[in-house]
Amino acid sequence: MRETLETQHEAELAEVERRRDGLKPLLNFLQRPWVRALAPLVLVLIIGVVFNAHRAFYAWGTHRDMLRQVSVYGILACGLTLVIITGGIDLSVGSLLGFTAVLFAQVSIHQAWPALPAVLVVLVAGSACGLVSGELISRFRMQPFIATLAMMVFARGLAKTISGGEKVSQAVLLPDGSPKYLDLPRVFSVIDSKVLGGHLAVVSIIFFACVAVCWVLLGKLRWGRYLYATGGNEDSARLSGIPIHRVKLLAYGLSGLMAAVAGICQAVQEQQGDPEAGNGYELTAIAIVVMGGTSLNGGRGGMLFTLLGAAIIGYLEKILSINAVPEAFRLMLTGGIVVAAVLFQKVRK
Amino acid sequence: MKKLLVMLVALGLAATARAADKKYVIGMSQCNLGEPWRVQMNADVKRAAEKHPNIEVIYKDAQNDTLKQVSQIREFIASKVDLLIVSPKEAVPLTPPVSEAYKAGIPVIVLDRKVTGSDFTEFIGADNKKIGRHLGQWVVKTLGGKGNVVELKGLMTSTPGQDRDSGFREGIKGSDIKIVFEADMKWLEPNARKEMESALATNPHIDLVYGHNDPGAHGAYLAAKAAGREGEMKFVGIDGLPQEGQAYVRQGILSASFEYPTGGDVAIEKALEVLSGKQIPKEIVLDSRVFTKDNVDSGGEWLK
Repeated sequence: MRETLETQHEAELAEVERRRDGLKPLLNFLQRPWVRALAPLVLVLIIGVVFNAHRAFYAWGTHRDMLRQVSVYGILACGLTLVIITGGIDLSVGSLLGFTAVLFAQVSIHQAWPALPAVLVVLVAGSACGLVSGELISRFRMQPFIATLAMMVFARGLAKTISGGEKVSQAVLLPDGSPKYLDLPRVFSVIDSKVLGGHLAVVSIIFFACVAVCWVLLGKLRWGRYLYATGGNEDSARLSGIPIHRVKLLAYGLSGLMAAVAGICQAVQEQQGDPEAGNGYELTAIAIVVMGGTSLNGGRGGMLFTLLGAAIIGYLEKILSINAVPEAFRLMLTGGIVVAAVLFQKVRK
Repeated sequence: MKKLLVMLVALGLAATARAADKKYVIGMSQCNLGEPWRVQMNADVKRAAEKHPNIEVIYKDAQNDTLKQVSQIREFIASKVDLLIVSPKEAVPLTPPVSEAYKAGIPVIVLDRKVTGSDFTEFIGADNKKIGRHLGQWVVKTLGGKGNVVELKGLMTSTPGQDRDSGFREGIKGSDIKIVFEADMKWLEPNARKEMESALATNPHIDLVYGHNDPGAHGAYLAAKAAGREGEMKFVGIDGLPQEGQAYVRQGILSASFEYPTGGDVAIEKALEVLSGKQIPKEIVLDSRVFTKDNVDSGGEWLK
């Protein structure tokens, strides 16, 4: 009797084993890094197919608009990816976006500067702010959170100061209260246009270009490896002769530069420089970086993850929007789906 | 050097001469200068005050922080201003400091948003519901009683957002106007553009877009223009600020912008009346105007 039980038990164990072996290929498949990274996107796309809002989800225009909408956040996320890989954080990107958007509107609409110097000045201003953060963090040993929080507040104040607290647009009030209209510079309509027969927004191409530049830096250049090494273990990186100070300046400087690129893209799309622009964008940008799979602890991650994260967040917003989901549900669903997607990504044996 | 000395003496004389008149100090407590409409309110106060050399206005901005505004009002009481203009962030938490000022003998004019109770001199504000209703009736008239409308709403947890929505729905009641898409754009232009893109993707024909504020309507216009469909529909917004709504109407972007007056100029007018000892009513509802292409240059048309 006892023997039969044992044999029975063994048989059961063998059966379980066999079943597990049957599942193994599937589990192995789900374990592959690229599958795990893609899984949340697939999940979100399935939601889109199910709730396709009278087939609006199948129209290319919806996807093009999604790419346009997420581009500004995505550009911020590119710079943030570099910073996060070094084990830091940059909270100032949203405010820097507001500051650079105002600056760009002011020099190009109000001062009527030609496009090239206007763009250059704005990019330099953004990078300079980033470098200041970097300097505070690496030379003065401030916590990245504190240093960039200070920069966030400072840059917002700067945006409000240079704009006088008002939106910088084509309409200008003369001292006697009568309005005057300035021309919208051509650079605005060029950047806020579409190419490839109207199938892709120019700002999306700028986003892809930013991804490409950062991808080359991280994957192909020596300085990219320095960024990972600094984030992985700063002490051993320093001992092995990596110039930590300059690595951090590079990361925060590029983050400021990307914020300026995003600021220009924001200004052209709004046709004005709004001193409040970019309020809270840093959180969405951080979400994009993290959703992709880049670790907030530093040392791990990459640009393609960020591209993926942008697609996930972008599609999520778009799907909720085309279905006209009321705001309150939207917030709850976004929270829920983000958690589901990240859990999905973490499937383990 | 001599010239400089003469100038200084002259300045000093001018200052003493001015101090000889009875000069009033007015404290202006603004809840948030992060919004263009409130920037305009301060500008309206300033423009009206500049016409009267015997008043000086001190401005404080609470940066959208209720507690900061509470303490700023107390600072005004402590420095014994002659009159207080308060545009409160919220009713309940700002009632005690306003009441303290009033009881300390400082006349208080409350602008735009109310406080509870009756410890203030005068409330001046516009009526969002009424403006929404007028806008709804204008839409019915303009579209000939039927059509597809997209409504891009302000923050729906805020009273202005709720009133601009419910007023509009009262205005279109009984007509064949259909709201085919509605979304909360939280007063923000980039959000309005996003939501409008979704409205365009899901609706083959739209007759009119109603933005709860002008930047919202403008964002919707940019989305429709990017889709090549801006000619298909009209755009209407609320606020009618000179650099925003009125400018968009002049440029032919909005068909109409309904003014939500700041009352800044009226507040100064009333302040002078109070300071000269006149009795003023407890509440004033501001009239508002509609700006269209035909009337924007002549100052808009008053709504009845």
